[in-house]
Amino acid sequence: MIREVVTDVLLGLAALTVVLSSIGIAVMPGAAAKLHYVTPAAVVAPVLVTLAVFVREGLDSNTGMTFIALLFLVAVSPFLSHATIRAIRARSENDLGDPLPRLVPGKPSSGER
Amino acid sequence: MTAFVIAAIVMLAALVPAGVTLVRGELADSVVGYEFISTVIVMVLALLAEGFGRPGLFEFPVILAVLLFGGGLVFVRALERWL
Repeated sequence: MIREVVTDVLLGLAALTVVLSSIGIAVMPGAAAKLHYVTPAAVVAPVLVTLAVFVREGLDSNTGMTFIALLFLVAVSPFLSHATIRAIRARSENDLGDPLPRLVPGKPSSGER
Repeated sequence: MTAFVIAAIVMLAALVPAGVTLVRGELADSVVGYEFISTVIVMVLALLAEGFGRPGLFEFPVILAVLLFGGGLVFVRALERWL
């Protein structure tokens, strides 16, 4: 009984985190502001889901697979966010000094002023 | 219907606002929406596997979590350099 209640609470918090993050992405202006709302869904919610599976199943293969998937998710999310904000900044300012050939005629590549 | 399935359904419903951003927003907004949706889908797959009691399905979120990183990096590099 206690396990079910704890599982339900953890899953409810995870779902609430995802819902609020999605609303934040839809409402906030600009990609940089929206990107802040990816982090709770990529870091907080996976931990809650993993805990919920652990509370229900204990230490077994299901918990292990969930842990691997969501650990990878938590680990790579900051790198992906960093790359994304770097790309957004490069698009907006063109100041990263990246001398790549332009593929779209008339559009400066990143690095060109 | 277990709590895991209900949580998965709620998370899928929560993808609608991000999906609208992906479809209607600018290019950078769409990339952010893509990252959010793919992140949530990893959790949804894990929740459905647990909710339906199918341990074999736990491989899908693991594979998607790995592919998410590579795919996301490809998108942002294309966004940065060529789009």
